[in-house]
Order: sequence, then structure tokens, then C-alpha cells
Amino acid sequence: MSSRTGFQPRPQIGSGRRPSRKDRGTKVRRTTPGQVIAIILLGLGAIAIVAPFLWMVTTSLRSPGRAYDLPPQWLPTEFRWANFADAINGPVPVLRNMFNSAVIAISVSIGTLITAPMAGYAFARLRFPGRDKIFVLLLASLMVPAQVTIIPLFLMMSSWNLIDNPLSLILPGLTGALGVFLMRQFFLGMPEEILEAARLDGASAWATYRLVALPLARNGVSTLGIITFLTSWNAYFAPSIFLSSTDTATLPLALVLLLGPYGAGNLSVVMAATVIAITPAFVVFLLAQRWIIASLTQSAVKG
Amino acid sequence: MSKASTATAVRRPRTGRLTLAERREAMTGYAFIAPSVIGFLLFILGPVVAALFLSTTRYTILRPPRFVGLDNYTRMLSDDRLLQTYGNTFIYVIAAVILINAIALTAAVLISQNMPTWLTTIFRSAYFFPYLVALVYVSIIWQALFQKDTGVLNYYLSQVGVAPIDWLNSPGMSKVTVIIVDTWRNIGFAMLIYVAAIQEVPKEMLEAAEVDGAGPWRRFRSITFPMISQATFFNITTTVIGAFQIYESIIVLTRGGPGDSSRSVVMYLAEKAFSDYDMGYASAIAVSLFVLILLVTLVQFRVRRTWVHYE
Repeated sequence: MSSRTGFQPRPQIGSGRRPSRKDRGTKVRRTTPGQVIAIILLGLGAIAIVAPFLWMVTTSLRSPGRAYDLPPQWLPTEFRWANFADAINGPVPVLRNMFNSAVIAISVSIGTLITAPMAGYAFARLRFPGRDKIFVLLLASLMVPAQVTIIPLFLMMSSWNLIDNPLSLILPGLTGALGVFLMRQFFLGMPEEILEAARLDGASAWATYRLVALPLARNGVSTLGIITFLTSWNAYFAPSIFLSSTDTATLPLALVLLLGPYGAGNLSVVMAATVIAITPAFVVFLLAQRWIIASLTQSAVKG
Repeated sequence: MSKASTATAVRRPRTGRLTLAERREAMTGYAFIAPSVIGFLLFILGPVVAALFLSTTRYTILRPPRFVGLDNYTRMLSDDRLLQTYGNTFIYVIAAVILINAIALTAAVLISQNMPTWLTTIFRSAYFFPYLVALVYVSIIWQALFQKDTGVLNYYLSQVGVAPIDWLNSPGMSKVTVIIVDTWRNIGFAMLIYVAAIQEVPKEMLEAAEVDGAGPWRRFRSITFPMISQATFFNITTTVIGAFQIYESIIVLTRGGPGDSSRSVVMYLAEKAFSDYDMGYASAIAVSLFVLILLVTLVQFRVRRTWVHYE
């Protein structure tokens, strides 16, 4: 059983290197002035991080006429939920845009979750001529900035009549080198014996993958799913170029529209829309941040 | 990797032909990577090659591309707007590398001190959260806070006697504003990388140094910092690449203005390509950006070989 821990994301800070009972016995830790200063500094930083979000929530609940009142309020004193209705029913079809974002993000995630683990498994665990060369080539695409491919992609999508169509964002998102890389790392960390046992039992490579390796990799797969979904949900650059009408726009584009030509002056409604837009990230944050942090840091630190 | 290759050796010494089982395994392998490889050829490699080609042409959509050699590249050298936007971008890159890494490393060292677990959890979560939120959304919040007359920031500054600052619409401050938001959003991620690396530093080594009379600064400089160099390398590379591509935060905060004072090279590229439809020239700019990012990455790989500590 102990070998299983090898491919589960390590719990991070705090639960990590705990002193053994013996250590604790020999050395009694007291709070030193240095630690108090550390806590105060970190606390000030945390306030600077959280304050803008707090202000967003409070402003989203203020009546629009009082949104600009100073001194600012940090905790809501009035609860004008109508701002949220106004955000949705305003000049920009926010719900529609949210739906567009969801369709794209879900499609891209499903595609990635099918293609990336398969390729990652093949690169980690199957033997075929040219394997490592192809992997390095794929990996090199991580160094290609989106700005280089955007013009040819735009021309390509135009010739396929996909401009202003969610497919222009879905198709290039179905595969991706980052997912392949993360899944390969994951499968490399998997104990050889388990996979070898399946092979010796006569299972085909596909059956070994589908019935043994993939289920064992579900932590990695779900982390990849969350990262892929959020990346797509938050994307701005490519959508701003491929989508041109308010009806096909994704949520980030819609919010820029709401802020700019349409919503100038109605800060509360803009903030209400922003609260709606941030909610999925917040939910992910509450439910899965531990796994995201683990998988993001692992690839960097373990190289 | 080494495990896999010894397994091959045990199974069968390498002699030319593959057995039936090996051939089947190879076919499965190719089938498994096929979708990813097709996606790569179609949406990465193909477009990169196309961009290289387009960068040597004059192409404005209306007429087919016409080969002009290196004209687009020589034009870049005398394009004042391009030089200005590249200048701005370099400032963003340098500021990001210094500020993000300095603050993130400081925070990581502080958070790695002995303190109650619930406190570390709260700090870690708070610092990390902005990284999950779209840059567009955090920029929308910040542009409201940065307003000259109605913004929260200027209100508090006025309480301590500072005259209202025109964060968004003055050439002197617009870049500073962009840098503040960029730093604010990205320190959390860099910090987590540093924290994870600091945890890997053997406690015994630090304790031994403490016994030998090394102070906290000395311990950090001589033990912790050299041992987390791989994380430092990773963070510097990520911040450089990210800052070179800075885009949407500027669109929301300053729209590149006033004038071009805060415009990034990516904004200029997008304007050339998709407002002016000057696709050939825009491709040349994109290629120049690509080459720069590649160079920075390669230089850092070189440097890494000399100063990164491996266990």
C-alpha cells in the first residue's frame, strides 16, 4: 500500500514535514518575536489580496446611486439583489455569454481528458520507435506563445467559416501539450508492478490502460480537468479575436463590453456581473485548491 | 525512464526486428498519441510555419500574400510605435521578474516559519486565489479602485495627505498601474512554488548550521537559497514568458493609453493584424516575440546548468 502514495498529490504545507515525536520532545517551540512579525507581514499581504474581492462583493450589493460613495464600505450594509438581475437583463446577454463560456470550457475539458491521458500513458509506459523524439517535439510547443499561432489560426478559421463560432476555440483546445506532460509525469510515477501484473494476466495494452492505469490516475485526471476548464473559462486573447458578436461572446468579453461602451456609470451592476463570473473559480478554489496546488508545484519542483 | 529501459533489456535484447507483441504495443502507442500529434500538427506546428512564411510577405487579406523578403523585419526597426510598445513590454518584464520574485520569495520564507497550521492554510489560500480568477475580472475590479476621483485607493491616499493620482490616464503612472495589478495577481503562484521548494530543504542541515552559529540571514543565503535554485529558475522563466505576453489587463485598465504609454507589444500586434489587417507585418512582430521568448528560455537553460543545484 505504501507504494501508492508515490502518485498521489502530496499534501503541502503544514501536513508535510512534521517533526517526529522524538524531535518534539527535545525542542520546545515558542512563538518568537520574529514569528509575530512574519505573521503580521503576511496578514497585511493577505488583506491586500482579499480587499479588492471584498469590495467587489460589497459594491455589487449597493444601490447604483451609492456605488461611488466614499469612504468605501468593506462589508455590505445593504443588499440590493436587483443588481444581479440588472446585470443579467442588461444590454449585454450575460447569461447567454456564460452559457457560451461553459460550452467551450466543457468541450475543451472533455477533449483534453480523452486525448491527454492516452498520450501521456503512451509516452510514459508504452514502447514504440521514435517515442522520446515525438514527446520532445510536442513539449516544445509549450514554448510557442499563442500570439505566434493566432494569425494563421484566424485565417484557418475564416476559411472554414468558423469565425464567430465556438468551434474556433473548441477545436484547437481538444489537445494540448501541457496535459500530455502532466499525465506522463503521473503515469511515470505509477509503480511498474501493477501494470506489469495486468500485462502478465494477458490484458491488452488498451485494457491495461483503460481498466488499470486510468482509474489509478483519477487524481491527476481530475486535476487536469479542473485546470483545463478554468484556463478556458478565463481565456481572453483568442476569444477576443475569434468571436465578434455579443451573442457569441464568452463571459470575459461580455464583462469588458459591460464595463466599456454600455455600462459606464453603473458600477454596482458591473460588479454584480463580475461576482457571477468569478463564482466558478471560487467554487474550484474551495473544493480543489489542494490538488491544484499539489500538481502545479510538483511539476516545477521535481522538474 | 531508466526503469523502462531496463525492463526492455530484460524482456528482449535489442536485435533489429520487433516481435509480434512489441509491434502490437507500438501500434497501440501510435494510436494513443495520434489525436495529440494531429492537434499539434494542425494547430501548433502548421500555424508556426505559416507565421514564418507570412512574415516574409505583404498580406492584407484582400489580395493573396506577396513575397517581400525581409522587408517586414527592416520596417520593424524604424517603426516608432513598435519600439515604444517593445520598450513598455521590457519594462513590464523586468518589473515582473524583480517584484514578483522578490515579494513571492519573501512571503514564502515567512510562511515557512513555524506558525499554527490554520494560519498557513489561510495565507496560502488567500495569496493563491487571484491566480484562479481571470485576469480580465481582477482588472475590472482594480480599474474601479484606481479611478482618480472616485477610486478607493486615492481616497485612502488623500487621508494621509497625498494628492489624487491619475493612475489610469497619465503617461507617468499608466505603466505603474499595470505593473501593480500584474504583480498582485501573480505573486501567489510564484510563492507556492517557492514554498514547495523550501519544504524540500533538509531540516537537519539548517539545524546543524544554527548550532554552528549561523544566523537566519546566513542560513537563508548559504543553504536555503542555493537549494531552491530550481524553483527560482522556474519562476523567473514563467514570469518572463508571462510578462512578454501581457495583454488583457492593459485593455481593461488603460486601453494602452494615454497615447501608447502603456501599450504592450501584443496589443500592438493584435491591432496591426485584426484592425489594420496588416497580416504580414503583424506576423513578423509575432515571430520577433517568439524568438525573444525562445532566446530568454535558452539563455536561462544555459545559466541553469551553471548555478542550479541538483540533489
